[in-house]
Amino acid sequence: MKTYVSTPETITAMAKALFKEERAINRLDGWFLTKESYMRHEAEAASLPPMEKAALLLCRALEELPLSISENAVFAGTQRDAFARSYALINPSFKVESFAGYCDPTAVFDDIEPNEEITKARLDLVREHDRQSDYIKTLTKAYSDSARFTDEAVFFVEQVTGHVIPDVRPTLRFGVRKTMASLDEKIASEKDEIRASGFRAMRKALEGVLILAGRYADLAESQAASAAGERKAQLELLARTLRKVPAEGAESLYEAIQSFILMWQVMCLEQAPNPFAFSVGNADRIFEPYRARDGLSRDETAALLKHLLVFYNVADRSWAISQNLIVGGRDLDGADLTNETSFALLDAYYDMNLPQPILSVKLHKNTPERLYAELGRFFFTPGCLTPSLFNDDSLFEILEKNGVEKADLPDYAVAGCQEPLIMGKDNGNTTNSWLNLGKILELTLNDGRSLITGEEIGSFVPRVPFRENLEHLRERFYINLEGYLKEMEKAANACSAAVSHLPVPFLSTMMGGLDSGYDMRDTSHQGTRYNGSGCLIHGLSVVADAFVAVDHLLSEHPEDADRLSAALKADFVGYEDLRERLLSYPKYGNHEAEPDDEAVALAARVSQMVSSLRNYLGNPFRVDFSTPSTHLTYGYWVGALPDGRKSRDMLNYGVDPMAGDAMGGLGLRTLSTMKLPFEKFNGGYASHFGIDPRYFRGSDPEEKGLEFARRVVAPLFFNPMADHMSPFYLYVNVTTPEMLRKVLAGGEVPADIEKLIAA
Amino acid sequence: MADASEMVLTYFQKGFNYSQDGPGNRLVYHLNGCNLRCPWCSNPEGMAPDSKGRTEDVKALASAMISAGPMYFEGGGVTLTGGECTLQFDPLKALLILLREAGVDTCIETNASHPRLPELFPYLNTLIADFKHPDPELHRQWTGTDNLPVIRNLRAAAASDLPLQLRVPLIHGVNDDDAALAGFIAFFKEINRPGLTVEFLRYHEYGREKWEKQGLAYTMKDAFVSPERAAFFERACKEAGLHVIRT
Repeated sequence: MKTYVSTPETITAMAKALFKEERAINRLDGWFLTKESYMRHEAEAASLPPMEKAALLLCRALEELPLSISENAVFAGTQRDAFARSYALINPSFKVESFAGYCDPTAVFDDIEPNEEITKARLDLVREHDRQSDYIKTLTKAYSDSARFTDEAVFFVEQVTGHVIPDVRPTLRFGVRKTMASLDEKIASEKDEIRASGFRAMRKALEGVLILAGRYADLAESQAASAAGERKAQLELLARTLRKVPAEGAESLYEAIQSFILMWQVMCLEQAPNPFAFSVGNADRIFEPYRARDGLSRDETAALLKHLLVFYNVADRSWAISQNLIVGGRDLDGADLTNETSFALLDAYYDMNLPQPILSVKLHKNTPERLYAELGRFFFTPGCLTPSLFNDDSLFEILEKNGVEKADLPDYAVAGCQEPLIMGKDNGNTTNSWLNLGKILELTLNDGRSLITGEEIGSFVPRVPFRENLEHLRERFYINLEGYLKEMEKAANACSAAVSHLPVPFLSTMMGGLDSGYDMRDTSHQGTRYNGSGCLIHGLSVVADAFVAVDHLLSEHPEDADRLSAALKADFVGYEDLRERLLSYPKYGNHEAEPDDEAVALAARVSQMVSSLRNYLGNPFRVDFSTPSTHLTYGYWVGALPDGRKSRDMLNYGVDPMAGDAMGGLGLRTLSTMKLPFEKFNGGYASHFGIDPRYFRGSDPEEKGLEFARRVVAPLFFNPMADHMSPFYLYVNVTTPEMLRKVLAGGEVPADIEKLIAA
Repeated sequence: MADASEMVLTYFQKGFNYSQDGPGNRLVYHLNGCNLRCPWCSNPEGMAPDSKGRTEDVKALASAMISAGPMYFEGGGVTLTGGECTLQFDPLKALLILLREAGVDTCIETNASHPRLPELFPYLNTLIADFKHPDPELHRQWTGTDNLPVIRNLRAAAASDLPLQLRVPLIHGVNDDDAALAGFIAFFKEINRPGLTVEFLRYHEYGREKWEKQGLAYTMKDAFVSPERAAFFERACKEAGLHVIRT
């Protein structure tokens, strides 16, 4: 039965108006009200085990939070109450200059400007209450214990919230009540008290979404009573829908989207504030059965999906970031899974051009030309968001080698920007640790003393004369790396232990908890089928180039070896000739054997060392060469290096060559990239191509999209001459610096700010 | 000829280019040295034989070029250009032989003045040759050398079955007058055959900054050619039965 409201044009106009409304919001108090509600009801929940306590408090907050439905909304629900006006590196409390502020989980209270309603006293009371929590105490200790290393970003660690891909499909299909009934049976039969408590907590948490749906339904009914005409009909449909979903299974696309939104809202609220990088997963596959059942046209589908996209944008700067939505891909037999909803989603994205959610596209060697043609408009419209591209053929192989069961492979999706995870089954703890290879090289060259501050950070190798240090640089670097990695492992696991004090029973229902009975953050019992901890590795090509430069210097100009120490300390001031020479040595990214082989060896060895670390459950850390703009901030803390890079300059982005070093252009860069051991990058990686639009000569975006497939995607991802696993990630800007300046001068804000900065 | 492993080539630039330096995606090496002194040259940094460059032995170069195979899509391969690539004739020939043996598509871009140029034909998949002026005297005036060796080589190339792309840098005040056009058409018609193409490249000043960086005076003035004038040349050639292309 087709459930539809108004015309696609009307629904689209409402979505655009809704986004405009959202961007006018410059206060986000909901997360604070939620925390205050938790505090107020804590006594009531005091005797409960942690998971059940969390579930009860979540329900109480959902009973109390102020709700509204905009006159432009066709769905009820918002993420607004889960986010503060701060995010990640743009958190006002984070200062690159001191690399501090990010560690203080109570700094978020400063994001609210006190007013008559939310007074400073109220804010301080909850902040203080938070400070006394086990979570904050444990986290503060974790940061304090590792400060020696994190202060100058040798490595960094964080407690991971968000960053998973819930599987909402069973709820959409069967409804929450059916899950609750199944939990009732498990609770009755479970002998293990921890699991029984887990099941009770999950059941209670699911009540929360029914509370929310009921309150929204009441609100919609009440607004319908005073509305007229088309709006009245919209609100009446909304109220009817909310009485049905997510309690029961959805039977139309409209119901499925509404059900999805409410599940998402509660999932985010449970982790307020700031559960970044929850990802939708394979959105086209999630919604296509409902579209098909309705028989909706592409335009009708796109119009409804536009409201879903607006939902992912929070307030004036779309504060909820790194939410990823993916389309396309293949099944186990290699058959393409692109469907009509895939194309409708592309239409919705293109028409709305919103900052969130991030669009990703799965490609494989049988991806239909139609998809490439339809992607053309994203790549060839200045100022338009461009999708990230993933290579299913490689990723299936990598994930399977890393223990993912065959049947789960098509369900991989992307959390954050680049990290592949299995939808509903994988807690990758993806941003748990951040490693700075550049800083470790700096410390190795300088006996553990920072060139930036002069602080003695420490070294795991004995002090030797500088020349001897150079002669054994690799060996000493790897010994140091091992030492720092052990410290990082300890600190990262301490952060995970801290966040385990904040159980997430609601999310756990969509992450395998219904089978395991455990919270997905449990550090003693594995609640999800797959588990690991992420390590984002910075400075690959900078360090590889530095090794090569030292080799050349020692063999070609040994008389300058001792000058290098002074030159590095002086940031090359007074040693410009030496720097010129160092810069002239071969660099990674030009398809030259020496530096490329060095980068491959470095990537392989670092990957092996990171993989040998163990997280809180004894599972390996995952190797992730992603640097989401952090190549800038981590570089800020690295002194001068022998590749000729100056102190505080950025590091290379992801696995890319250092900016300006790939002198031979994109083709040679591609060849260098293809040599890297991608099979070891089980946590993901970042790579960016900036391509001159003049490379494409098609007469329209569709033709250019096909050229893009032939000249960029196919050589990199599906090259028949590749002698080992092909790359699996690419982000592209088809633009020139001149074009970017023009877009900015024109006042248009490029859609994907974070990636543009990285580019 | 000496063994390839004993020969070296010096180049000042390398990188991929799509379709403008031969078919498909091509790895282009700019070899040092040129025997002409065209004042509009866009690569003056490679003009002098002893100009700054990187020297590698032919075998190593061939190996690097062969290993770039995954990027030779859409019929691509290796293009040697310059400077004037034939100034390093023997190592160039040795390199082309190694590339052809490895199945790599080969192309050179040349001013076609080298007396031994035809020796390279068996090892080329495409020959791209400049023809800068049909008048021997004016050719000498602008480039410093006679065009007779060029004409001889182009006739030889036309007599082979090698795909031949003739290129004319179209420059106002140098070769964009009606007399030059008549000369171009007369010669091109004489050597025309299937597989021969003609392309007019409008004057640009991409090289100006490089000349100045070299401390050399850039002497070209008022040399731009209007699109209409270029189109007129193209049309005239087409009407003369020539296959005119734009890459």
